[in-house]
Amino acid sequence: MDKLASLLHTSPATAWMVVKVIIVFSAVMLLASVWTWVERRGSAMIQDRIGPNRAALFGKIRIIGLAQLLADGIKFFFKEDLVPAEANKGLFWLAPFLAFVPALMGFAIIPFGRSFVSGGVTYHLSVLDPGNGMGMLYPLAIGGMAVYGVLVAAWSSNNKWSILGGMRASATMVSYEIGISLAVIAIFMSANGYDPSDVIKAQGHTPWTWFVVRQPLGFLVFFTCMFAETNRLPFDFAEGESEIVAGFNTEYGSMKFSLLALAEYSHLMTASALIATLYFGGWQVPFVKDPTVMLSVASFVLKLLFFAWVFVWVRWTLPRFRYDQLMHLGWKVMLPLSMANLVFHAWRMSQGH
Amino acid sequence: MGVIVKKVELTWLDRTYVWPVLQGMAITFGHFIRNLFTTTPNRYTVQYPEMKREIPDGYRGLHELKRFEGGEIKCVACFMCQEACPARCISIEAEEFSDLNITQGFQEKRPAKFSIDMLRCICCGMCEEACPKDAIWLRKDYELAAYDRLSMQYGKWDLMNTYSDADGKAHINQDPTPSVPRRTIAL
Amino acid sequence: MFLTFALITLCAALGMLLQKNVIVAGLCLVATFFGLAGLFLLLANPVAAAFQLIVYSGAIMVLVLFVIMMLNSHEEEPAQASRPVQRWLGVALAALLALGSIKLVSASAGVAALAKSGAAVPTAMTLQKVGTTLFAEHVLGFEVAGLLLLVAMIGAVALTKRNL
Repeated sequence: MDKLASLLHTSPATAWMVVKVIIVFSAVMLLASVWTWVERRGSAMIQDRIGPNRAALFGKIRIIGLAQLLADGIKFFFKEDLVPAEANKGLFWLAPFLAFVPALMGFAIIPFGRSFVSGGVTYHLSVLDPGNGMGMLYPLAIGGMAVYGVLVAAWSSNNKWSILGGMRASATMVSYEIGISLAVIAIFMSANGYDPSDVIKAQGHTPWTWFVVRQPLGFLVFFTCMFAETNRLPFDFAEGESEIVAGFNTEYGSMKFSLLALAEYSHLMTASALIATLYFGGWQVPFVKDPTVMLSVASFVLKLLFFAWVFVWVRWTLPRFRYDQLMHLGWKVMLPLSMANLVFHAWRMSQGH
Repeated sequence: MGVIVKKVELTWLDRTYVWPVLQGMAITFGHFIRNLFTTTPNRYTVQYPEMKREIPDGYRGLHELKRFEGGEIKCVACFMCQEACPARCISIEAEEFSDLNITQGFQEKRPAKFSIDMLRCICCGMCEEACPKDAIWLRKDYELAAYDRLSMQYGKWDLMNTYSDADGKAHINQDPTPSVPRRTIAL
Repeated sequence: MFLTFALITLCAALGMLLQKNVIVAGLCLVATFFGLAGLFLLLANPVAAAFQLIVYSGAIMVLVLFVIMMLNSHEEEPAQASRPVQRWLGVALAALLALGSIKLVSASAGVAALAKSGAAVPTAMTLQKVGTTLFAEHVLGFEVAGLLLLVAMIGAVALTKRNL
């Protein structure tokens, strides 16, 4: 790191920051694009189909359909970039970025490995170092910003169906954010801190002290709300082919559409990282007291990938909800449940547990 | 007549939604695992260009004009198939042929040209039904595509040779008995 | 950094005021909140920044935009007839507000301390501190505010849904 810093004429801290940002965000973007393939192949396997397996590099190397990513990318890149005549041009351009940037930014707070000391300097494996004061409030704040991408995309298209999708997405987001926040507050109380490193430290290395065991109700609420927050099935109300043509992205095509799709998958990655951090011990390795740095990173990545897969798995298992059912679930089930969870843990803490 | 719909009574476990969701996910995961460890040829999907479905008997694909052992065409150019064809894709020109060496009984008429426009053919099998001599069959070849229209006009020799390879017969492109050119009849 | 965030805030606020399109004005307001959150961060108060984003731009503005979209006011509203009395009253009130806030800020202990010691770095606000302050020192105000919001909510429900 020092060598790199001297090479770039910056301080080691800055160099480390830049390296972290590049590695984390490119990894998340790569994973998000790979996950489009995982989604398609996984859904195919769940439904006894085969899925995209024919795209090949140079017409020969098939690598189980992974070349589909490249093919899709090239296709999107060379498609005509249409802007509807009646659309609000500036916002129409802005919307994919508004969707994509918050989806990536949320990942910044997540510690993806244990901190290590090298040459008397502590290096933290998260883009935002612990003790920055924002803690787990940061992903909540950024998650709240994420809906603007959908909303602006919907409104600027100047299309009735798009606006319906955007409105549904915004209403969903507002209703489910409350459930998420209350579930997370219960974790803050149990962890006695709201920094992700505190949360991970409080969970320890034994799986039965992880918050998923200590707060199963909170986990259920958080997990369900995350589906609504990321606009994934069974709660994907920003889209809906049978109801509102395609939803908020009806008018989008080419790179702007692929950016919107990537935003969805980056959001999925951030959500699964949050689940892994809050309820499954983050980078903690089960039964290993002080794991090496590489082991902790591997553990975190494994958990992240597992939950990202669960998102895919649930999508292809459960039927969609109706919109009023979604609102009913959000306000009349999730909110009381997270309240009950909060009150229960507050009571337990007051009893000295 | 009304149908009595049985209302399913949900137990409290079902009402939580969590348990049924887990059951459903177990089912899909079972499918996923089963497919993950099944090689592609053993799955339900037929990977078409590499794998082909077994065509059932009675399938109506590309036509074949049958021939006798010696290579003589069975068709007697009676125009029954041409009349029967609802798509009007068959066109026949008949000719008489020299019966100096009688090998097939007393036959003196055969098609000089027999062409099927496969762009118009609907593979209905009416020609097969109409044929009094069992000379035209519809068999199992279904990959009928070409880059130009002309290649879709199947002539007499194309139709006689369509299944030669499959049946292990020799390709022929000439009638074993010479025709009588003077008395060619064209319809 | 301060200049960046201040410029974002000011430009977005101006944009909101001058923009004729309601939705664009709303989005400008969101940008204003974003800039404000940045300013809070610079003031070593990340908690306030997070809440600014969560509450104002994450919830309230989404709801406001939702309502605007629902009322379907795409068309830019025609200019209203000028009402001189209201306008001058508004200007006067705004000036009063600005004067009052400037006086409040300049008279506050924080600015005085900053002027004295110069380089004193304030300690970062944490959620714990906010919680203790809210529930120990200002518990009465907090409860009253909560009660007020509850009353407002019940009133809204009672007004909109006469037959429950």
